[in-house]
Amino acid sequence: MSQKISRRDFLKITGVSSAALAALTGCGPASRFVVRKPYPDMPEYNQTGASTYFATGCRECPAGCGLIVRTQEGRAIKVEGNPDFPVNYGKVCSRGLTAVQGLYNPDRVQGPLKQASRGSSSFEKIDWETAIPIITSALLKNEPSGVAFLMGLAPDHLYDLVAEITQTLGSPPPLRYSALGMFEGRTTLLQAVNNIFHKDSLPFFDLANADYVLSFGANFLETWLSPVRYSRAYGSLRQGIPGRRGYLVSFEPRQSLTSANADEWIPIKPGSEGLVIAALTKLVAEIKGIEGASDHSELDVAQVANTADISLKKLQEIAHAFASADHPLAIPGGQLASHANGLAATQAILALNGMVENLGKKGGLFLIPSTSVASNFSEIQALVSRMSRGEIKALFIHGVNPVFDLPSALGFQEALKNVSLVISFASFPDETALQSDYILPDHTPLESWGYQHVLAGADRPTYSASQPVVVPLYDTHATADVLLTALKESGKVPYQDEVDFLQQKLLPLLQRGGGFYTAPEILTFWSKWLQYGGWWTPTEGLEKPNGSSTPPAPAANVAELQEGQFFFVTYPTLFGDGSGANRPWLQETPDPMTTVMWNSWVEIHPDTARKLGVKDDDVVKISSPAGEIEASVYLYPAIRPDTVAIPFGQGHTALGRWAEGRGCNPLQVLNVQFNEAGDLAFGDTIVSVTPTGRSRKLARFESREGVYGSQH
Amino acid sequence: MANTENTGKWGMVIDTDRCTGCMACVTACAMENNIPWTGEEEAGYGRGMHWIRVQRLWHGEYPEVKPEFTPTMCQQCGHAPCEPVCPVFATVHSEAEQINLQVYNRCVGTRYCGNNCPYTARTFNFFDHEFPTPMDFYLNPDVTVRRRGVMEKCTFCVQRIHKGQEKARAEGRPVKDGEIVPACAQACPADAIVFGDMSDSESQVSHIARSERRYQLLPELGTEPRVTYLKGGGYYGG
Amino acid sequence: MKNPKALWQRPVFRIGIAVVFLIILGGAAGGIYFTQLPPEQPIQFPHNVHVGLGAQCLYCHPGAVSGPVAGLPSQSKCWGCHQQIKKQSPELEKLAGFVSRREPIPWVPVAIQPDFVHFNHAPHIAAGLNCESCHGNLAAMTVAEPQKGQNMGWCLNCHQKMAPENFTRLSDCSICHY
Repeated sequence: MSQKISRRDFLKITGVSSAALAALTGCGPASRFVVRKPYPDMPEYNQTGASTYFATGCRECPAGCGLIVRTQEGRAIKVEGNPDFPVNYGKVCSRGLTAVQGLYNPDRVQGPLKQASRGSSSFEKIDWETAIPIITSALLKNEPSGVAFLMGLAPDHLYDLVAEITQTLGSPPPLRYSALGMFEGRTTLLQAVNNIFHKDSLPFFDLANADYVLSFGANFLETWLSPVRYSRAYGSLRQGIPGRRGYLVSFEPRQSLTSANADEWIPIKPGSEGLVIAALTKLVAEIKGIEGASDHSELDVAQVANTADISLKKLQEIAHAFASADHPLAIPGGQLASHANGLAATQAILALNGMVENLGKKGGLFLIPSTSVASNFSEIQALVSRMSRGEIKALFIHGVNPVFDLPSALGFQEALKNVSLVISFASFPDETALQSDYILPDHTPLESWGYQHVLAGADRPTYSASQPVVVPLYDTHATADVLLTALKESGKVPYQDEVDFLQQKLLPLLQRGGGFYTAPEILTFWSKWLQYGGWWTPTEGLEKPNGSSTPPAPAANVAELQEGQFFFVTYPTLFGDGSGANRPWLQETPDPMTTVMWNSWVEIHPDTARKLGVKDDDVVKISSPAGEIEASVYLYPAIRPDTVAIPFGQGHTALGRWAEGRGCNPLQVLNVQFNEAGDLAFGDTIVSVTPTGRSRKLARFESREGVYGSQH
Repeated sequence: MANTENTGKWGMVIDTDRCTGCMACVTACAMENNIPWTGEEEAGYGRGMHWIRVQRLWHGEYPEVKPEFTPTMCQQCGHAPCEPVCPVFATVHSEAEQINLQVYNRCVGTRYCGNNCPYTARTFNFFDHEFPTPMDFYLNPDVTVRRRGVMEKCTFCVQRIHKGQEKARAEGRPVKDGEIVPACAQACPADAIVFGDMSDSESQVSHIARSERRYQLLPELGTEPRVTYLKGGGYYGG
Repeated sequence: MKNPKALWQRPVFRIGIAVVFLIILGGAAGGIYFTQLPPEQPIQFPHNVHVGLGAQCLYCHPGAVSGPVAGLPSQSKCWGCHQQIKKQSPELEKLAGFVSRREPIPWVPVAIQPDFVHFNHAPHIAAGLNCESCHGNLAAMTVAEPQKGQNMGWCLNCHQKMAPENFTRLSDCSICHY
């Protein structure tokens, strides 16, 4: 025996091994050592271990739903719907639910940044004391006409503030748009309502009480205007009234979720929508015996049916059912507005509603009693050309990501090079923020004050109130506060800060009364406003449209396809305007129709794919005069064989770890052409499809075994 | 206090005629129950952790093609195939709530239960999924964050059931109908999911479950699911 | 020369086995011993003094009566009294330091359950349990000390005894594990 273990060694070994064992078995001090840090001063709304609920407003899309956010120990845990709020009544969509993944996203911009040169991604941290004078001089030292604001459709309070500021400074009013607004044909719809009913507001379709509904490319179950409101109404359409089940017919070239839920999906030829509407109008007028539809008398209905790929019998059946229904309703949507004749077609739909006399009636068409503002795409094009001519000295961007969510053929990114100063207020390092000189991050919606005027989804005058549900996580500042501080010394704006601005804006509501609560002065009003998450009237308050005029019949707009050419459809998904792509749970939530996760795909009809010689997961190149993109094929049985479709939202080159380098951006192949309302006629884009010979598997949920084969 | 035995025999009714397939339930479930995301590759391997999925089945041929959406989660079988196969009693039947339980600390990851589930409602943690800070700030403190090697599944939001029962008991009253709602039913924009106490014949859920449109998934297996479906418009023939 | 004894019969081998066994045993004993030590706290809070002065448990841990977590007092609560009281101990100087820096006191919890156990104080208080039934006699402790054997058998034992008519519910796995 040569080895001896000394007593000292023995103790050492025992000590080490007992510590190791203790750590390994998980019962040692290492695993027990957790630290609890109570609040130095407990807020009165808080109780350790119990949740606190705050009412706030959703800003994930312009619909403006009301939320209740569950918080615990100062953290936002879960987004729930506000049960009293007259848009969503306690319900909430996937996008709203993942708002906490936006708030707690590790890729957020954590403080004001200065970029060394645009696109360099080399940032220098600055402080707000340095940042604010830059805004002051940009606003006051430049020619007023050289200052431009580009803003999203949410939040409204910031738009109102900026509108006031630009007016005071003599600058052009801020432009506001949203990719969702483009896809839903918002400005076209507004223009159509103005032309037919002479009002600047959006229509409200009483889907819940209708019994025969025609939808022309309105994807109201996913993204159109106020999806949660219309989804709720859809539930009532189906089973809301005992003994009656509403009937839904949807016309569009690619089956969207709304068409998937329709009783009949009619895949008409893209661009023929206007003709079909004209034919329906003529048929309905004949059935109802209405004179004065003379504009349509020339129309050959059989010819239209032939052009549009719909049987004449089917068209007549639909016209008959629509004309004889108790509560018929026709809804014009984004796919309809996306053609060169989109305005005429939308007007014709509104007039069709007038023809079946459902205006202002149960189950019919109403007008929202509030004025809507949205910029059309020709205004944005005008801004882009002013930018390229070097007329814009300072550009402020908030709530939109134009480098990503404008068609690249519009030339925004090139025009940006001629702007002397670009300031982005983005909370995330998105594509546009990376092309700007400064990123002065705004709070994310759950950390913000504000209001949103509900313009599409409520049957009464409604405002949603936003309040911070958690203390801002990082060194971000509310953009409204930043602008107010920047202009404080000049004395050009009469507000102390954002909350003061909001309270002054609420004064008219307080004085007007008629809400479901009243208050003697603003502070009481303010506390109720925050408690209930907004302000609305206790009774319905929709306007009955009148002054309906007969619009001209929509012109034919059907393109002839050459060999190898396809109609191109692009549509927004769970990612909304694309900003949802950096949320892992929106990426992991399967697309409803294809069940694809985490990527882009091209929907091609199986017969077409066979002709092209491609199968599932083969990568194809989609090219148009505007550009080209690549994506994997998804054999989609519910699309016209002469049409291909790509969802919008992926294809980010920035925006954080979960969004970057994933899929493709279909806006890169859209041609820039406008309809009569100045809205983008993206539906008229024609593309060609070429196989690349490569293949890239799509992660899809429809196979629980997975797509990589059973070996794995 | 009255005996509170057997107050809950929880059941769910899903009206597929109202369901639009919008996926709000899927996301709501993930946000409530601390379900991790797995990323593109793992999701492609079929290892996504969704406790609820919306099954989409195509019917017909173009142009009369139409999908049918069926939100599917653990059916909380009264006679559950997953229970007898677990060697460590990690998946057991709750006598009090009449649902199936997955006890994470007992689970050793044999995956027998997942293989024996006819509804493929169970998901397995092949990895320790990370919630990179500060993403972990939104985790629900009422729900365990599961670790690698553990099977998991829909719990009917049992944390909400307990919270609701606890509140009612503290106030000395029975649980009200509609007071306890799982995350999916709470979010569902079309009101397609209704949850409640099936042992109370007057509850909304029992009322709807008596509809002539009712059916259950794979009834021939005799699993006695606690989830009832109502047929959609186009599929009355079954 | 060949050793006639088989390997397992050699004394060296036997001693080796015994040593390994002892090390494992010692490790286990050490591990268990360490779990029973009160962890080091940032302030040596004297529970005995406070209880002796008649302070109610729920004054500082009010969450126990209404919610799952008893909660630790915020320092403003400590300071509410101690601002008025002479600082006669170095521990109070530490408290004053935390207060003046407005820094949360990093307490180390002692009665702690693993993540997969969801314990709720409120129903236990409502059922008439006293704090000391589970947490020991705090009147005799300075910093809180871990209590022995707070495991599942201990929970179930009580659940069975306290309310036998509710045993189905109280022995349900889901009552704690979800």
